[in-house]
Amino acid sequence: MTSASTWGPQQRAREHDLLRELSALPDTDPRRAAVRDELVTMHLPLVQHLARRYQGRGESLDDLVQVGTVGLIQAVDRFDVDRGTELSTFATPTILGEIRRHFRDRTWAVRVPRGLQELQARMTTTAETLTTQLNRAPTVRELAEALDVPMDDVLAALEARHAYSTDSIDADPDDEGSALSGRIGQLDPAFEAIEEREALRPLLAALPARDQRILALRFGQNMSQTQIAEELGISQMQVSRLLARALADLRAGLTDDA
Amino acid sequence: MNDMVTLTIPADTAYVALARSVAASMSAHADLPIDQLEDVRLAVDEALSQVIADAPSGSQVTCTYTADGDGLAITVAGASSSGVVPSTGTFSWIVMRALVDEVSADIVDDLLVLHLRVSRSVPVQA
Repeated sequence: MTSASTWGPQQRAREHDLLRELSALPDTDPRRAAVRDELVTMHLPLVQHLARRYQGRGESLDDLVQVGTVGLIQAVDRFDVDRGTELSTFATPTILGEIRRHFRDRTWAVRVPRGLQELQARMTTTAETLTTQLNRAPTVRELAEALDVPMDDVLAALEARHAYSTDSIDADPDDEGSALSGRIGQLDPAFEAIEEREALRPLLAALPARDQRILALRFGQNMSQTQIAEELGISQMQVSRLLARALADLRAGLTDDA
Repeated sequence: MNDMVTLTIPADTAYVALARSVAASMSAHADLPIDQLEDVRLAVDEALSQVIADAPSGSQVTCTYTADGDGLAITVAGASSSGVVPSTGTFSWIVMRALVDEVSADIVDDLLVLHLRVSRSVPVQA
């Protein structure tokens, strides 16, 4: 972890002592708070580092550091000194989890009413079951029947998925284009003949690796959204959302260039 | 079954979402599986951005959706500043061609008209 790597041996030793002390203290001991505070303070740079990766997505850095700190405190409380891992390694997923949850709650809260959220959750499960049964994606009518709701409700739930932007948050920001960056010079054959290919190349390369893959599978190999979902082990609904976002990004980029 | 819906909107990207919603709704009426429904939504996005890009400001775009026994036909028509059909070699065109079964463009009476046609990929009980 970045913050840990800048540490000296003294800090490492101090962290170790504090963690030992914390694990030995009874839950009710008033000294716990002070020990915990010091551990949290030592790792705040880690929280700040992680929070910065989510900057520019509509939430202030202060808020992100705050929710990330909640994750850090949970990690300190749950840390097992005998595990043999670093606290920073153990805390990172918890901190990221809190930050992502914050975005998820916020995006839902602003845009999608609760009833629709619930229907959407049920719909995702039902769609996957029906896809397995029918060996193809279900229709809106079939979903409505299986869920015992009007077709319009299914349509509203389908639409709501596009307003709900968890995916961009769940994607690791460090992943942006990195996995395929060695292939920037190469364009999927499907895109090789396109007039704007030179403008398209850097735009494609800037997309997360998973989005690039989805575009190549959909437009290069002409696989259906359902087939792509199967191939990548995600839901068709996610494929649809990622595809829509990637196309919108590319179109915006191409229009800017024009 | 031959149900037709016509929607006229300002040639402004702010109204594209409306055309997309109608596309989704008509795809449902045409009993397209939801992955095809989502493809249609994306295709309408592309078609409208092409027509709007060439439309004079203040003009209007008319979308016609026809659900029939086999699938859905959509036309998107708007005034054309250039008077020529868009190139079929653009990214947008390649995307549309992959998303639906048929795409074509015409200039009719100074209007740019895009035709999209999607057939149900699999037999379903209507």
